[in-house]
Amino acid sequence: MILTYTLLVCLSIFIFSPFVLIMIKSIGKDWFGKLWLPPTLTLDWYKWAINVARLPEVMKNTIIVTGLAVAMSTIVGIFSGWAFGRRHLPGKELLMSMILLPRMIPPITYALGIARIFYGLNLVNTHFGIALAHVTLCAPYAILVMSATFEGLDERMLEAASVCGANPLRTFFHVTLPQIMPGILSSMIFTFTTSYNEFTLTLMTYGADTLTLPIRTYLAVGEGYWEVTSAMSVIMVLPSLLILFLIQRQVKPEQLVGGFKGL
Amino acid sequence: MSEWMIELKGTTKRYGTLVANDHIDLQIPRGELLTLLGPSGCGKTTAMRCITGHQHPDEGQVLIDGQDVTDLPTHRRDLGMVFQNFALFPHMTVYDNVDFPLMIRTLPHDERRQRVTEALRLVRMDELGDRYPRQLSGGQQQRVGLARALVYRPRVLLLDEPLSNLDAKLREEMRFEIKELVTQLHMTAVYVTHDQGEALALSDRVAVMNVGRIQQIGTPRDIFERPNSLFVADFIGLSDFIEARVDAVEGNSTWVAVKGLRVRVETEERLRIGQEVTLFIRPNRVELLEKGAPAGENVLEARVQKLTYLGDNIDYRVVLPGDWEIRVQTNGQQYLPAGSSIKVRLPPKHCHVIAEQK
Amino acid sequence: MRHLRSQRREWLTTLLLLLPGFAVFLGLFVYPFIITIVLSLRPEGQTTGWTLEYYTSFLASEHGRQVIVLTFFLAIATTLFSVLLSVPLALVLRRKLRGHRFFRAVPLIPLVVPGLIGALGLLLVFGSRGWFNLFIRDVLPFIHGPIAVNYTISGLTLFYVWLYFPYTLLTTLSTLEGLDPGIEEAAQVSGANPWKVLRHVVLPLIMPGILSGSVLTFMNAFGAFSIPLVAGGNYRPLSVDVYKQIQLFVPAHWSQACAIAVIMGVLQVVFLTFYMRVLRGRKVK
Repeated sequence: MILTYTLLVCLSIFIFSPFVLIMIKSIGKDWFGKLWLPPTLTLDWYKWAINVARLPEVMKNTIIVTGLAVAMSTIVGIFSGWAFGRRHLPGKELLMSMILLPRMIPPITYALGIARIFYGLNLVNTHFGIALAHVTLCAPYAILVMSATFEGLDERMLEAASVCGANPLRTFFHVTLPQIMPGILSSMIFTFTTSYNEFTLTLMTYGADTLTLPIRTYLAVGEGYWEVTSAMSVIMVLPSLLILFLIQRQVKPEQLVGGFKGL
Repeated sequence: MSEWMIELKGTTKRYGTLVANDHIDLQIPRGELLTLLGPSGCGKTTAMRCITGHQHPDEGQVLIDGQDVTDLPTHRRDLGMVFQNFALFPHMTVYDNVDFPLMIRTLPHDERRQRVTEALRLVRMDELGDRYPRQLSGGQQQRVGLARALVYRPRVLLLDEPLSNLDAKLREEMRFEIKELVTQLHMTAVYVTHDQGEALALSDRVAVMNVGRIQQIGTPRDIFERPNSLFVADFIGLSDFIEARVDAVEGNSTWVAVKGLRVRVETEERLRIGQEVTLFIRPNRVELLEKGAPAGENVLEARVQKLTYLGDNIDYRVVLPGDWEIRVQTNGQQYLPAGSSIKVRLPPKHCHVIAEQK
Repeated sequence: MRHLRSQRREWLTTLLLLLPGFAVFLGLFVYPFIITIVLSLRPEGQTTGWTLEYYTSFLASEHGRQVIVLTFFLAIATTLFSVLLSVPLALVLRRKLRGHRFFRAVPLIPLVVPGLIGALGLLLVFGSRGWFNLFIRDVLPFIHGPIAVNYTISGLTLFYVWLYFPYTLLTTLSTLEGLDPGIEEAAQVSGANPWKVLRHVVLPLIMPGILSGSVLTFMNAFGAFSIPLVAGGNYRPLSVDVYKQIQLFVPAHWSQACAIAVIMGVLQVVFLTFYMRVLRGRKVK
């Protein structure tokens, strides 16, 4: 029993300590030498992050890019999910694992190609361009989740609705939509997380006007201001942790891992 | 060697406020097949899990062969068990499944082979040793489960609803197979089920459980013929229950008043005059007589209200004077149309009185 | 006739529905990948001509071989440690202990947090003045510190494990929870002590889960980019090497970068296929 808890507590410390240190670093001043905690606290680094690193603008970019990516992926996911989940497709398994390929191969391998194509199309350094690059990674997940959702849709329920006298439109709004809503939501949550955190593809397509949070944080590391970087990291990581807190009870962990059953 | 193979001494198990086992006392002699019978949630599974060691009782003791095993882990109790969902190891062949307990006990190789073959032959599965569990039918899987539980000749065999995942016909067959095996091997066995037919067919003794207690324990005949409570009477077999009051007592005979009628009952129970009781009789022990049959003891005027033809027998609803209805089952030959006036006889030795009312 | 027409219409709508998905797949994955391959075969800066020079030079060079070995080393070591960490943790997390909800949410964190931030935090924790070394100084003074973790190969592996072990853990845990508890009880009743139940029954049964989880860990570790980029120091796996070809040189070495990227993709696919075959083989049995 003691052993069990020791193991669990060690795990928690291992997982949490990076965040705790980032947190402390971001509000600490004069934290030199071998001290466990900084001698004074300050909010200066957050002010720097906002004023010098132009964080509000970066956040705006991030929200636009992520919003676009989620919207596009969800639409693609619903269309393809319907086809995969409701129609008999020959070679469905194969098609599905093909669609999942972008998630199985390191993004850096096709990021170069995307960058070259987007240079040619003047999509580099545009919100739409970055979002489009993100769709490469987000769409497979949306399709996977939506296919499973549509497959799980109970045909008899739809028949029951029409027998009860509902026209197709009413059936859709009163029966179909409530049933697929959880699927749409979880697809949106995961595509959001993917796009919000996406680094590799963004690095290949960003420009001075379209810095996103991960890129800005990465650049700050290069500039060497660890305190400011930490402040930005805290701001960046909050939405992710909030989402985790919200979905923790509803979502099965294996969904988060992103069912690679088609493999 | 203790007199009792298994003994529960006041074992109690609570889940929060729910008392699953409430001070259970139970002794099972060597070589007996005892059934724990009851509806779901009655605590029969908890009692069995206390014996296996998968549950630790909050109070009380569990003794196996005189040894207190309350704090002994499952694997050192030397038990055999057959599970409702078979619980075969899916990654092992039939042979390896049966061999598993012997492998764990690191027996010599030759002996293992010999014993496994023997056990598989005993359950008539010796041809299918190479198969995997998923390639077998339910009945075959349960036979393998039985062989796995018997192969190391444990002190006690536990069977947890072993037949309830099988279809009806197979269940009938396997009842007798299990009974025969257990008798042949002189095993002490505890059988858990909610199926009264199974319990009556298999057991040396039956313990009927309800809300965490043992309501009655006895031979199948005892339980069926002389239930000690409304619960047991109601749970096992069909019953007619009639509210009554004790009118007179004389030796073994008791007269009870039922809606203005008088019925003689043979009972050993001591009852006070005027006591509120329940008269109970099995529907197939009631005799239906022609309208013109002579009057006599416990012969009452009646009318057939409704009948349902069931093939082997006919199920009648009969209304008696004072407007009370009883259910009567007769063999299919005696056909009395609905609405006809008849007489019924309630044989005194089949009428029972239970000193409680619903 | 009518039936045929409606069937054809159904086919058409299905194709239309699949169109956006395939557009994304072809336009944003297949086409870029082909461009990458074409670029890797073109002499730098030219639009015509073919050459295998970038492949041969990379594969023949000491540097190239080192990078490939390093990438595989990191991915395999991460996978191994993840399995070693995940199996006991999964066994512990399965039990409904007090606070198991919290402890279950903990390993989800690395999955939803950017690897970049994980790497930054870990660099802070394991720096020469970080809490890890302070802990050694104040609590375990008999160990001669400070211990260098950051920018070492073992430190990098540790960071990888932090980020990628949840894949193995969660898959193992969900397989473990799918097991019929009766099977373990049967083993116990048969006389197997907890260790033997684990070794003969539980481990063989959750092996498929462990293996498919470790595939995910391996895949992610093999392709990891942001962590080695900020925390790798002189250790550059394939992904970082690709990026450095573009970032370090002016003008950028596009052809060389693309060639390394293609090598990386091919290695990943080959290794995964091999792994899958092994997995499938086990399953059929």
